[in-house]
Amino acid sequence: MSPVFPMLTVLSMFYYMCLRRRARTATRGEMNSRRAIESNTRALPINVEIVQYAKEVLDFSSHYGSENSMSYTMWNLAGIPNVYPSSGDFTQTAVFRTYGTWWDRCPSARMPFKRTPPTFCSQDYVELAFEEPVYPTAVHILETYHPGAVVRILACSANPYSQNPPAEVRWEILWSEAPTKVNGPQARQFTPCIKQINFPTNLIRLEVNSSLLDYYTELDAVVLHGVKERPVLSLKTSMIDMNDIDEDEDEEKYGCGMDTLNKQFSIVNLREWPTNGYFDKLPYELIQLILSHLTVPDLCRLAQTCKLLYQHCCDPLQYIHLSLQPYWARINDTSLEYLQSRCTLIQWLNLSWTGNRGAISVSGFSRFLKVCGSELVRLELSCGHFLNETCLEVITEMCPNLQELNLSSCDKIPPQAFNHIAKVASLKRLILYRTKVEQTALLSILNFCSELQHLSLGSCVMIEDYDLIASMMGAKSKKLRSLDLWRCKNITESGIAELASGCQLLEELDLGWCPTLQSSTGCFTNLARKLPNLQKLFLTANRSVCDTDIEELAANCTHLQQLDILGTRMVSPASLRKLLESCKDLSLLDVSFCSQIDNRVVLELNANFPNVFIKKSFTQ
Amino acid sequence: MFSVLSYGRLVARAVLGGLSQTDSRDYSLVTASCGFGKDFRKGILKKGMCYGDDACFVARHRSADVLGVADGVGGWRDYGVDPSQFSGTLMRTCERLVKEGRFVPSNPVGILTAGYCELLQNKVPLLGSSTACIVVLDRTSHRLHTANLGDSGFLVVRGGEVVHRSDEQQHYFNTPFQLSIAPPEAEGVVLSDSPDAADSTSFDVQLGDIILTATDGLFDNMPDYMILQELKKLKNSNYESIQQTARSIAEQAHELAYDPTYMSPFAQFACDNGLNVRGKKIIFFFPPTLLLPLLLSLRNLKQSEVLLLQNLIGKLC
Repeated sequence: MSPVFPMLTVLSMFYYMCLRRRARTATRGEMNSRRAIESNTRALPINVEIVQYAKEVLDFSSHYGSENSMSYTMWNLAGIPNVYPSSGDFTQTAVFRTYGTWWDRCPSARMPFKRTPPTFCSQDYVELAFEEPVYPTAVHILETYHPGAVVRILACSANPYSQNPPAEVRWEILWSEAPTKVNGPQARQFTPCIKQINFPTNLIRLEVNSSLLDYYTELDAVVLHGVKERPVLSLKTSMIDMNDIDEDEDEEKYGCGMDTLNKQFSIVNLREWPTNGYFDKLPYELIQLILSHLTVPDLCRLAQTCKLLYQHCCDPLQYIHLSLQPYWARINDTSLEYLQSRCTLIQWLNLSWTGNRGAISVSGFSRFLKVCGSELVRLELSCGHFLNETCLEVITEMCPNLQELNLSSCDKIPPQAFNHIAKVASLKRLILYRTKVEQTALLSILNFCSELQHLSLGSCVMIEDYDLIASMMGAKSKKLRSLDLWRCKNITESGIAELASGCQLLEELDLGWCPTLQSSTGCFTNLARKLPNLQKLFLTANRSVCDTDIEELAANCTHLQQLDILGTRMVSPASLRKLLESCKDLSLLDVSFCSQIDNRVVLELNANFPNVFIKKSFTQ
Repeated sequence: MFSVLSYGRLVARAVLGGLSQTDSRDYSLVTASCGFGKDFRKGILKKGMCYGDDACFVARHRSADVLGVADGVGGWRDYGVDPSQFSGTLMRTCERLVKEGRFVPSNPVGILTAGYCELLQNKVPLLGSSTACIVVLDRTSHRLHTANLGDSGFLVVRGGEVVHRSDEQQHYFNTPFQLSIAPPEAEGVVLSDSPDAADSTSFDVQLGDIILTATDGLFDNMPDYMILQELKKLKNSNYESIQQTARSIAEQAHELAYDPTYMSPFAQFACDNGLNVRGKKIIFFFPPTLLLPLLLSLRNLKQSEVLLLQNLIGKLC
């Protein structure tokens, strides 16, 4: 044997060891920066950083303010900050509809979907367009009240201002973290460490979770720092990897494409093994039980391992409850097509936030429902901007057993399309928050859907006469347990009277920002007397709520848990004390901007009734 | 950035053959204002351009310049409500509406309506009332669109003469039309006019026009000929001259307010309404404050600033 071979082996081993040591002692970034510094001496062009405020708010899931208003609405997030660095509850900020866990603790709270990946905890979102597409280097979020809600920042590859529809719409997570408690309501500039991406973007999406917050979070502006030319330095991906479990389907470096998810759904040629080891010993139901703890992407990965598990993972019994909301960025027609065969027995389906920007077509959605709608009991379609009249028609025809329908913020559905919902006689829960449902359609729904228990008509601006609606409810919706009439602009005491006499089972009533209700007509007294089961009552910004009303509530509604009387000048501390003494279950009392209830009173009440969360907001 | 554009325009015009009044360039405004509050402190600029109970704003959006004045009704003070809160918030809200482009230049009543509705959307329970006057200059069409609710108002002076003026809207003596938010127990008792009740006019304006908006404090103290006299002294259209003129009008009105021998237009009107005026004893019912943003259309786009003219009539015995 020639002496070359051992020599080569030794040399190659030596080289290998050196490489390994070099890799261990230097991070990828350092090695690349060394290269960059070397190449910099050859005079690279300077990458100018562009700083932009949001040009436009394109989409959002909810907000506190009225449609067409500038106060507490999401549109305030565009442009320069109006309030920052001041802290406080100001009109010029962007505020979401809910905060804390209060909406999970009231009669209208919904059962969560199981198998939600732990990294997905977003409750609301807002999408912002900027003028210039850049490679983001930093994102500053100016929060002016109760900060800490932002849990995820994403960037989109599609330019919302381009004339041509984008070939591919890709969303990349720039930053993601579980919600953390931020002490205090003070304003802050939130600058999380974002990942660098390989495409320029001018469409940023913020996802928020306010469950740990003491009050509404308020955002003033979002600043996007970026460069026009792709940065030379390599990516600092190590920090984000742990949070990207969701996104990393396989070892693909930028694995956010929709193809990745779709690949898993496709039928794969699997190797035949003679046995499946211990899996052959386990009963079928037990394997099903084990698999029921896996999230959908994991289920898809598992399906590619062997034929037995493939059979299990494609079993429709694994898809009785399916939530695709955590994967909203990647669900499209193809995904639905692949899921069709597995979802024939589906009962709960969550497609909220999915399908926008052309991802799901009307025909794709219709095809899916035609195959899988027969057992559907609960359908979540919040923020489904692809939904139109045909979709509603298909839903109501193909889902005869439907009991829960969520069309929150589906603002592209034309007013007359809601007529179809009347066909679903078994409907128990209907959420029409921020939709364009019109009067006759709603009357028709109330007439035929007599099983309704939960109804949300918040910010439904196309309804002309809420008294008529209330009267119909009083006559037909005898089983109504929760009713959301937030910002229902023209309901009066006659509507309330009919509601109170007709819907005896009401436990939750949101009459926030209904300016036409006057306490002097006795409508609140009437409510209190007729609805002893009330657990949640919001009379937000009704300036006429007075001591008598509070006393009546104290006397009649002893099960009251949540009460909001923001902004009235006519309630005194004495009546509040009576209320707190009488309603032992009270856990939330919002007395913000009540001029007779100052901070001293709040402190005193807090001391005497420690179980009640008494909230007093401020502007300062 | 503006100056570069305007220089470029100047050069282009010079090259194209002289400065013509009929070229299609936009008009622009130079604004100045001056004011005095009831608390006798001269020219105190409270937050958001408030003088006493009055407030004003100047804002620009694309091709429109918008001015507004609002006169807070002083009677609320007796009920523990600060009258300047309503007028100030109304003007700041209208300013924000304009800056964000949520308005149509030819519909100033829309600005008032939207501004008033926004006040109702505030979590803070606002109380109070005020008059309001909104003036919109559409720079491209060279038209002025106005909306006036109450007894504030505007004058348009061309060549030393008043060519347009607003009409006072009064329910009865000393009770102008007013936007208001009343406490619930007083609804129906407190005067509250709808923004739709505002008078609305539109007309063309020309280069060199002087637009004067003020609250009743000016018009009640200074008759037209005095105002015109002061305006005649305005030689050129730069900011300093306008500011000087605004200040002099304000100061003059201020002096007249305290002159016990002077029969102001308001005093005259009071007499006509049967209120006793004997010799030197002139009793006034209310001290209205006035705002006087002074506008001038100009060729060159210049930075506009605002000084408020304000005056008051004190109680004299």
